[in-house]
Amino acid sequence: MVRNDSSSDERINRRRFLQAAGGSATAVALAGCFDSDDGEDGDGGNGGNGGNGDEENPARKAQNAWETIEENPDEDAEDIRNEAYVEIEEAVRDDMILLPLFHNLEERMWYDRVDVAETGPLGGHRQQHNDTTVEGSDELRMINSQMTTLDPIQSTDTASGAVINQMYENLVHYPNGETELENQLVEGVDVSDDLLTYTFTLTDAQFHNGEELTADDFVYAWRRLVESPDSQRANFAIGAGFLGIEHEVDEDEGVGAANVVPDSLAVEAIDDSTLEVTLANPDPAALDILAYDSFAAVPEGFVDDIEGYDGEVDQQEFSTGTAAGTGPFELDGWEPGTEARVTRFDDYHGEPAELESIHWQIIEDDNAIWTYVNEGNADLFEIPTPFYEPENVDAEADDTGREVGTYGPLENGETVNYLGVAELSTFYAAFNARHVPRPVRQAIAYVTDHDELIEIVFKERGETAFSFTPPGMWPGGEDAYQDFVDEWPYSPNETDRQAAQELLEDAGYSDDDPFEMTITTYDDEAFQDFAGLTRDKVADLPIDLSIEETEFGTLQNRGEDGDLEFYTLGWIWSWVDPSYGHFGFEPENTNTELIPEEADGYYLDWQTELDDE
Amino acid sequence: MSRWRYFIKRTLLAIPVLFLVMTLIFVILRMGPLDPVASLLGPEASGAQAEQIRENLGLNDPLWRQYIDFITGLLTLDLGQSWAVYSGRDVLDLVYIFAPRTIWLGFWAVLLPIFIGIPLGFYAGLNPNSWSDYIASFSGIVWLAMPNFWLGIMIIALLSQTQGGGFLGFDWYEFGPTTSSVLGTPPLDFVGVTDWTSLGMIAIPTGLFFDPGTLAVAIKVILPAALVLGSASMATELRIGRTAILETINSNYVETAKAKGLSGRVIIWKHVFRNALIPLVPIITNEALLLLGGSVIVEVVFAINGLGRLFYLAAVQGDLPLAGSLIFVFAVITISLNVLQDLLYTILDPRVGYEQ
Repeated sequence: MVRNDSSSDERINRRRFLQAAGGSATAVALAGCFDSDDGEDGDGGNGGNGGNGDEENPARKAQNAWETIEENPDEDAEDIRNEAYVEIEEAVRDDMILLPLFHNLEERMWYDRVDVAETGPLGGHRQQHNDTTVEGSDELRMINSQMTTLDPIQSTDTASGAVINQMYENLVHYPNGETELENQLVEGVDVSDDLLTYTFTLTDAQFHNGEELTADDFVYAWRRLVESPDSQRANFAIGAGFLGIEHEVDEDEGVGAANVVPDSLAVEAIDDSTLEVTLANPDPAALDILAYDSFAAVPEGFVDDIEGYDGEVDQQEFSTGTAAGTGPFELDGWEPGTEARVTRFDDYHGEPAELESIHWQIIEDDNAIWTYVNEGNADLFEIPTPFYEPENVDAEADDTGREVGTYGPLENGETVNYLGVAELSTFYAAFNARHVPRPVRQAIAYVTDHDELIEIVFKERGETAFSFTPPGMWPGGEDAYQDFVDEWPYSPNETDRQAAQELLEDAGYSDDDPFEMTITTYDDEAFQDFAGLTRDKVADLPIDLSIEETEFGTLQNRGEDGDLEFYTLGWIWSWVDPSYGHFGFEPENTNTELIPEEADGYYLDWQTELDDE
Repeated sequence: MSRWRYFIKRTLLAIPVLFLVMTLIFVILRMGPLDPVASLLGPEASGAQAEQIRENLGLNDPLWRQYIDFITGLLTLDLGQSWAVYSGRDVLDLVYIFAPRTIWLGFWAVLLPIFIGIPLGFYAGLNPNSWSDYIASFSGIVWLAMPNFWLGIMIIALLSQTQGGGFLGFDWYEFGPTTSSVLGTPPLDFVGVTDWTSLGMIAIPTGLFFDPGTLAVAIKVILPAALVLGSASMATELRIGRTAILETINSNYVETAKAKGLSGRVIIWKHVFRNALIPLVPIITNEALLLLGGSVIVEVVFAINGLGRLFYLAAVQGDLPLAGSLIFVFAVITISLNVLQDLLYTILDPRVGYEQ
């Protein structure tokens, strides 16, 4: 999974850096000056974080670790990669280039009449309701938020995903959103020695329109994913760092998917039930990526949006009113903004579903959701935060770390079942290394109290985050994760102003000459609360923190321009692979001079610290 | 200037206003801080993807071309497709799906106040400074003062407590046609066309069906929301109705009628009510406009997915074609209602146009 040709990258990098240095020269100088100071300090003064005995500078450590990951794509090199993932986490932590704040907690409640499997950290929207039953009813009723589309290659939101997932299927999937990959439409897979060619044997399955599933259907469906102008996830199939299926490009055609030569994708139907895929570079997470919604099977020629097919329906119809998958449920109807319904598909290749139908009422207002729930109109639901009472939860952790128990009583007097799962998502505050020197970053970590944040901001509905990689996919499992958390050096779960003060004074800041910086958040209550809390906490420290709120898009644009100092963002994993989050830490890939065209890391400018020490 | 020339002048003036509105829409939405690409892609966006989407949406075209495309699109009713809220759906389809709900809500929100507010106001006006006048006027003011979002939540809370027979003494869910929720989108498929006959170029409906059961449900579902949405106008109508009655009752022609020996009944029905209604007509047309804008909150609270809610989403997510088209639709409705108002004035009031 080689992301970029690093030698040419570095060349561009330097050239561009010289051009831009004029504007930000002071900031860079500052960072450089205090960083060297702190290197000794951070390890000597705080003892704890020097535990790994690593002498090299964290940015260099992260860069090396990422290169190790890239150079070891083999299946049996998993240990080497896992070690490198942990090294990246250590580098991020020790350098405090990014402060993880919380993992989203997905909660779901259901009435006793419902019998439904528990879901895993990939989210309830991944759950196919094949085995779900509702006592005394043939229909499962749920609440959904605004859906945008029914076309698997166009969907990017979980609301659409929840419905699409009942109708469409992939080669492999994560049953119930758990992290174990299982076969869905595939019986077996053969991987070539060079790890580049995957040969899949398909199961017998039928589409909702009556056609039999063949390898050609996958060839077509993935061509759509790459070539259709409506595709939102072409990069998952051909992007470097994602699956990276081999393909030809025509540079004159334009940017992104638009310049793929039609029918050049290296996906071939050997015979009706054999599918061959060739990657440009080995990718240990290839099968995981194939579980993503967009790779779903669609009958060949069903939609008209790629070259060589007239289509039975046009893309607009396909995204709004007609579906044809192999899933256990087929589309009954979707009325935008109101409701969607799917009904059982009797010719399903597996055991047909117990339920006759699934109905989603689309409601977004908290009050309306709460009313609908208390009327007993939803079988399976979440409780909107304003109505959530932490003391109503009576749950215990099971062996995978999920909270299982009961919640209640609701307003209607009923007590319902409760499940709380930490999602594979991380929301964080990060720094731009060019603008914010390490002692300041570490001081912010010292005064951050994760527990307090969860309590104040989320009514205790959230999981504290001490690493970027969520616990549910930590290399080495739950215990290894716990070890990492135990080593957190910045006074976990307390506001340690003392340590922060010492750090800042040693770095030469004083109340008369404080470090000035701005935290930029987008329109998100949790982050705004974090910003407010942090500003209060550094009020008597030599940091002069101002708060700024922007639109989400503005935040992104400014991040790409390297124009953020301290900002908040989140990352959500669509499949279980740490590198799908860690590529953004490769210091050379965080160069905002190159983002977004030639680099796609987080807005850290971490490369500026590569050769400091 | 004759009053008809005045009317035509007013109507022609609407055209530059419309252009100004379209230009403003374009400037505000296109040049503003909203980024449709960001809302499409979410936090996992990469730069290359964003660039491709910009290209697909035509956001990389020169501004003047985007402007011309936008204006011609609106004028030819080729409203384009939604970008973000319902990617790929025709805006016209969306308007067709969402508008009837808002119109249904608006219809009842105008009708309810007329039938409650005006009679109450007239009653208060006919019995000035009595206890019943005080009670009607006072409760009107209190009603006016209650904000819609609060009133909506209160009504929902009250009605949902009645499930299985509550303290109100009746079960709203069982009252009239049975419904499963106090909120939601009313079913508007109670009338429909079953057959079309084509007469050359024009298709005319020849078969109609009508389902009174569904109509009853549709009315029941909309009533609480309409009551809330119409609450402010109800109070206004009450107050203005009362004043209008008082003014009319004390006018000379009523005195004359009394002097002629007409019975109180005839005076009130023939002279007082008809004349008191005149100042209420523009009030009601203006209310129709206010309701259009004010429906967002009520639609959200009652989970009625109408134009208000759709517009809110489009605006927040930077869906330029959808938000632009909806503002355009609102603007066209507003301008036509203004023209209609001018027409009514022209017909009703002979003094219009003789301003010198």
